[in-house]
Amino acid sequence: MTLRRTLLTLLILLVSVSTLVACSGTSANFKVGMVTDSGTIDDKSFNQGTWEGVVQAATELKIDKNYLKPAGTTEADYLASIGNLYDAGFKFIVCPGYKFSSAIYKAQTQYKDAKFVLIDAQPTDADGNAVVATNTVAIFFAEHQSGFLAGVASAVELKTGEFGFIGGMEIPAVQRYNWGFQQGVAYANANLGTTITIKAENVIYQGTFSDVAGGQQLAATMFDKGVTAIFCAAGGVGVGAINEAKTRATQGKTAWIIGVDVDQFADGIYDTTNNKSIVLTSALKGIKTAAYDMIIDQKDGKFPGGQTLTFDASNDGVGIPATNPNLSAATTTAVAGVLAKLKAGTITVASTQGDLIK
Amino acid sequence: MQGVWDLIRLIFPYAIVFTIPLLITSLGGLFSERSGVVNIGLDGFMVFGSFVSAYTIKLLMPVLPNGDLAVWIGLLAATVAGAVFSLLHSFACVTLNANQVISGTAINMIAYAVTVYIARTITGSGNITIVHGIARTDIPVLSQIPVLGDLFFKSTYATTWVVLLILVVFAFILYRTAFGLRLRACGEHPHAADAAGINVYRTRYIAVAISGAFSALGGAAILVTYSGEFNGNVAGLGFLALAALIFGKWKPLGILGATFFFGFAATIANVSQVIPFFTNLVDKSPFWAPLTLKAFPYVVTLIALVFFSKTTQAPRASGLPYDKGQR
Repeated sequence: MTLRRTLLTLLILLVSVSTLVACSGTSANFKVGMVTDSGTIDDKSFNQGTWEGVVQAATELKIDKNYLKPAGTTEADYLASIGNLYDAGFKFIVCPGYKFSSAIYKAQTQYKDAKFVLIDAQPTDADGNAVVATNTVAIFFAEHQSGFLAGVASAVELKTGEFGFIGGMEIPAVQRYNWGFQQGVAYANANLGTTITIKAENVIYQGTFSDVAGGQQLAATMFDKGVTAIFCAAGGVGVGAINEAKTRATQGKTAWIIGVDVDQFADGIYDTTNNKSIVLTSALKGIKTAAYDMIIDQKDGKFPGGQTLTFDASNDGVGIPATNPNLSAATTTAVAGVLAKLKAGTITVASTQGDLIK
Repeated sequence: MQGVWDLIRLIFPYAIVFTIPLLITSLGGLFSERSGVVNIGLDGFMVFGSFVSAYTIKLLMPVLPNGDLAVWIGLLAATVAGAVFSLLHSFACVTLNANQVISGTAINMIAYAVTVYIARTITGSGNITIVHGIARTDIPVLSQIPVLGDLFFKSTYATTWVVLLILVVFAFILYRTAFGLRLRACGEHPHAADAAGINVYRTRYIAVAISGAFSALGGAAILVTYSGEFNGNVAGLGFLALAALIFGKWKPLGILGATFFFGFAATIANVSQVIPFFTNLVDKSPFWAPLTLKAFPYVVTLIALVFFSKTTQAPRASGLPYDKGQR
């Protein structure tokens, strides 16, 4: 009997302590939640970028934050996670990823007193019509401009050779990276005296964001066929490609990867003493800034509900990293020139396929 | 025909690299099942091995003067840790007579969760990237042999040869030593083995430890060869290794063939998108689309299992807890 009583007391103590902890530490009036897309919270890419923005804002505002990883990648999984966050009092929910479009469409009407930030997509109904409710903001990035700048930078740096592209799933954001990259290379060939070729067979979408082995084998095959640099917009598939390039670099062969979403230079380091990396440059998009800005706007009562925002070169929402150890000063200058023209509108980058490859 | 040869020569080394972790994991599964313990926790052991090696290598790489040494220590650490981790499975299945499938499932769930949790707690991220893995080299002289040199001795990793050596040694142990005979007896008829004076529990403990060690080595081999990053999963290769074990009829040579078949088919499916030979085929008939190619090995396995199921050669006592009192 005594044992049971002791256990019971302990249990009650535990419960009350955890409730106390849960209640303390909040000073602002909302909690920020995030639901991850396929992949993990530390994918060094999309999820991580968003989460870093959430963490930064939540730390500054001293508010609660939490993220949930859905059991799968279907609409039902996403809705379940959103519901769980909502029930736990997280009424400001950030969802990064194209695949959330239908889930957010339902959630924004179901949870009218919650705010949603949808990155990379607009909420869409079953017929594919975009409906951004007043409690939702949809955020797009001009990935084509980001890919364009990375394409220009890589072409100017390497001057001659063959480039390739490995995408993850064939979804709009990845496609725009690809098309922008091809336009960037073409622009450099036409205006900056480079002779880079991209063969149709070396532009592919692997089909997942997680197949590391697939990424390694695809990159290996491309490099074997004479490709010198591969632009990877492919999450975990890119991890395999980066590893393959590192293996080649340690053997003294030429193999470059152009990173995506965040600055991937550190991931490509194969020689720590000389800080040598196979990541030539990265095509960035300001996911972190976007997530951060929305939370701050909410705090200031300026949440742009119902709007669809686009982050592009004109508001520094996309670009290449500020420092690129693998790019020469001449290349950096050339890219800065192109960026200025892009901002001024003298260069336009198409966000559609046109006659580009895939 | 020239095109086909070039193609095979191009992808063969990559197919081997993909096969080796599967092979060693499958061999681990073979030892466990031949002793009478089903081990569907292979995938979890692989993840565990991948984690232990990644963390060890990350720790040692800056300290040791020679990076390759760190990689080898990492592989060894994973193997030992896998054997220790497997004690959980053998304790549940052998000592406590628990359902082996449930225990294996629990091992998988624990491994996926615990490794990422530990990684996050001690490194701040659930992904651990290593600076470099094992070097890829052409073997001198042998790689100059026509045909064979191109296929087997170019772009190879040392892990490939280590694993093949382990396969030979352990196949010998299984079939040509007293220990091997006893181990197989425990998987076929543990009561008879017990009556003959064999300690069934101890034999099964050792066998499960071998399977844990080998699967962990498999996970570590993935890390130091083609992935370079621990991220909390091995893409379900542990289950593929299990399928290869059945496809290979619980025999060392059989699993060598089965895993290579999987490895080769998976590699073709992966790279077919960038090979004009295949993209041309896709233009002619959608049958050759990457998706079909990816499904191919699984479909073949299913068909093969249907045909083999009548004459299945699974160890008879596999999956049954050993109960001394039962007759």
